Amino acid sequence: MGVEFEPRIVAFMCNWCTYAGADNAGIARMESPANVLPIRVMCSGRVSPEMVLRAFRAGADGVLVMGCHIGDCHYSSGNHRTIKRVPLLRNLLGYAGINPDRLRLAWVSAAEAPRFVKVTKEFTETVRELGPLSQEVAHQEVRE
Amino acid sequence: MATLLIDGQEVHAEEGQTILEVARGNGIEIPTLCYHPLLEPHGACRLCTVEVIRHGRSGLQTACTHPAWDGLEVKTHSPAVVEARKVILELFLSRCPNVPVIQDLAREYGVTEPPFPTETPEEKCILCGLCVRTCHELVKADVLNFSQRGVERRVGPPFLEKTRQCIGCGACTIVCPTGAIEIVMEQDAVYKEKPLGPTSAIWVPSMQAVPRVPVIDTDACIRFRQNDRTEGEIADACGACQMLCEANAINFDQEDEIIELDVGAIVVATGFEMWDPAQLSQYSYGKSPNIVTGMEFERLSNAGGVTGGEILTAEGKKPERVAIIHCVGSRDHNAHRYCSRICCMYSLKHAHLVRDKTGAEVYEFYMDMRSFGKAYEEFYERVQEENVTFVRGRGAEVEVLPDGKLRVTGEDADLGRKVHADVDMVVLSSAIEAPHDAGRVASLFGLSRSEDGFFAEAHPKMRPVETNTDGVFLSGVAQGPKDVPDTVAHAGAAASMVLALLDKGEVTISPTTARVVTERCVGCGDCILVCPYTAISRIEGKAEVNSALCKGCGTCVATCPAGAIEALHFTDEQIVAQIEGVLAWV
Amino acid sequence: MIEELVLSLVEGIRKVVAERLEELDGVVALRRSSEGVAPHVFRKGDDLSELEIAPRYPLMTVVSKLHKTFPDIRLGIVARGCDERAFIEMAKRDQIDPDRLFIIGFACTEEEAQECHCSAPAPQNLLVGTAPPPGPPNPVVEKYDEMTIDERRAFWQRQFVKCLKCYGCRNICPECFCEACAMEDAAWVEPGLLAPPFPVFHLIRAMHMASRCVACRQCELVCPAHIPLTVLYDLMRRDMETLLGYVPGTDMDAPPPLSVTLEEAPLRVAVEA
Repeated sequence: MGVEFEPRIVAFMCNWCTYAGADNAGIARMESPANVLPIRVMCSGRVSPEMVLRAFRAGADGVLVMGCHIGDCHYSSGNHRTIKRVPLLRNLLGYAGINPDRLRLAWVSAAEAPRFVKVTKEFTETVRELGPLSQEVAHQEVRE
Repeated sequence: MATLLIDGQEVHAEEGQTILEVARGNGIEIPTLCYHPLLEPHGACRLCTVEVIRHGRSGLQTACTHPAWDGLEVKTHSPAVVEARKVILELFLSRCPNVPVIQDLAREYGVTEPPFPTETPEEKCILCGLCVRTCHELVKADVLNFSQRGVERRVGPPFLEKTRQCIGCGACTIVCPTGAIEIVMEQDAVYKEKPLGPTSAIWVPSMQAVPRVPVIDTDACIRFRQNDRTEGEIADACGACQMLCEANAINFDQEDEIIELDVGAIVVATGFEMWDPAQLSQYSYGKSPNIVTGMEFERLSNAGGVTGGEILTAEGKKPERVAIIHCVGSRDHNAHRYCSRICCMYSLKHAHLVRDKTGAEVYEFYMDMRSFGKAYEEFYERVQEENVTFVRGRGAEVEVLPDGKLRVTGEDADLGRKVHADVDMVVLSSAIEAPHDAGRVASLFGLSRSEDGFFAEAHPKMRPVETNTDGVFLSGVAQGPKDVPDTVAHAGAAASMVLALLDKGEVTISPTTARVVTERCVGCGDCILVCPYTAISRIEGKAEVNSALCKGCGTCVATCPAGAIEALHFTDEQIVAQIEGVLAWV
Repeated sequence: MIEELVLSLVEGIRKVVAERLEELDGVVALRRSSEGVAPHVFRKGDDLSELEIAPRYPLMTVVSKLHKTFPDIRLGIVARGCDERAFIEMAKRDQIDPDRLFIIGFACTEEEAQECHCSAPAPQNLLVGTAPPPGPPNPVVEKYDEMTIDERRAFWQRQFVKCLKCYGCRNICPECFCEACAMEDAAWVEPGLLAPPFPVFHLIRAMHMASRCVACRQCELVCPAHIPLTVLYDLMRRDMETLLGYVPGTDMDAPPPLSVTLEEAPLRVAVEA
């Protein structure tokens, strides 16, 4: 049998929308998977492809990039760049032979605590089905 | 300046005035039917006949046309005058025996029965010509005129045929003293029939409006409509309001003015709109004029309203039974999920008013009674003691019965069965919602919206009047449904925060700004394109960040392929350390 | 036959260069010397018989460096289609001043177009030669969508295992003009690790190239390990066109789509978020 695989998911969350939404989910005592490890950024536009790749390299089996809905960005258009970058990076991962479903873009606003729970639950199961990233590509050890 | 005697009273007249104008200006009563202060006098009805004595000779003249000459002696109610008017009214009553205005006037002069028979007792037109003069002089549409002679004389459009010249303004119906002209809606016309009655094109929203200044609805106003219709050829139709305004306060040339202000703080107090109950057809809103929303009921009950504060059905009678339905469009997955907060209390108030003003039976269909405030619960008890019937169960359906009565069906949860009440009036305590353009306002001010559609406060508990944008505050229902005491408190809080902000004289900005590492920058300008605040500029071929403008989003940092910009306090190193940190557990 | 064609092409170019040198400070082109062929700035009076057009070299990089060092210099360049495309993307990013550059464009041969799988083997400013038909696309790229994820992974792992991190691809690329490079940033690309199983070096480079790669093929030509880098970059270019309607190097007025708002450069494909 062995221990069931628990995916490790790094989630970049924008401070004003998703992070607040996640907070609200917590306040409302809604359950969301502990697999999702939050990294707070001020805007989803702060998330660079380099950062996402580093997360994969450091051991994440899946990466979520979450922010405000288009039109609601606290910085007006930061998320416009996110919505262009992430699909491109997903495709690139697919071309390189890494399952693109390991990277997901999701807009979750501060008022959407239930959506936060839904997205994180869904994504955790998706990544669980895909299996550990190390099955596809070995992680690098990062030597300090 | 002329001096004359009316009924023994010395009065003065200006140049050009008629006897009627002078008399009315001095409070002397002379009856008229065909007179209107804004129109040329016609002398059609002859009711204003008075005795005029001049140079010792007396004669009967119409006061509305006779000039007020110097030295005249006028008797408005001499026996000759009274006799003349009696004959005139006998003739009118014979022509139009069923017109209430004529009947009342005739009765005043002792005429109760029409002396002459008529083949057309349903006739209402007294050929006064008010409609003709209005349509010609004011509206300038020239649709109506007299035709034929003698007993065949009639008023109407050419050949009594419908004509496109008629703009449907309704002015003729309003001036007609006997109600002989009816305005018929063929399709949605300028006046959309409202259950509470039409209004004129210049109107004050309510007696308590602030400011209490009339507004011209340029879509309905005859002057604007004629001007638009004829592309400026008829530019001076009507203008009655301006002619009558003693303060000379009406200016038809007013334009929208755009004012630019540099401010240090903004308070968004954009309020709410009423949700339209027609969206849930089971309430039959719009299918009967006696189904009204809570807001419409407020207008009805208001002393400055259409009925002077009396609660009447559309038929003009006091209702005998009234139903009030709570939570129409609120607490409803098919409309708004939230509770509109104010309706329970105003529904109780409405029930109380109905009982007090009409004595009608009141059936209040409610789910819960939200009487949370100071003295609210006590008021609820009082209304219960006023014999209002409370039915605990959502009023599910309103049916318009063939006889016009309204059947409200609901479940009485306490009895455990379906009940219905057949009533004369239904008040829907309908939801309040964010205004339809809230999305645009949100984009303008950088506001987010909560799930309920109202603007989002910075923190649901600790920061009720602030938003995520510095310097922009919320006040009142813009932030969410609340009643008057809560709105006042909320607004006071917003005002205090604004004062505190402005009083400080300086603003604190966040240190999480971006900074260029100049030796790594090659001046490609991608960061400049990315910045939503134009905080980055090219100086001598290299990028530079204006840290006063930078809001710290970090998008430029993620865009720069060279890593030549860093986000202070959110550096790549810091984020990488977090990534490593969270993944460290096994 | 081909040699004759090329010769007449070169002669034509030399003629134009001679004319242009009357009003330009110099023309950037390849020069054959006893030591081989290298980039050169021809001045008025130089022996133009030494001017060559092969082997291919991204000469725009030279122009960019000269423009930055000499703010008043007015140059010409002997340019292929890919040189001109590189110029457009570099000019957009303030690396070359278009007002101080005269492009002496010439057409590639049909063989060259086929070798490079080039879809535009002649510049817009074409002064010498006639544009050949575009070369057919790379069959690996054409059939790429048929490969499964596992096949793709195996393909690239076989390729990337050869990578020595010589940075040749980065060095030769005309669009890699950054003073500092993400690939040398220890946060992203770990120093001292060759053939990493997670090919971060190449993935980051591909993301950076998405809106800049002009398909000049120099990277692949230069790679000592013969890694088919252009396959990856062609796929990114394909995405750029599908997702954002952008082809690098074709429109001077089109802003870099990844940097501007959705209003300025909208997505052509619905993205679910």
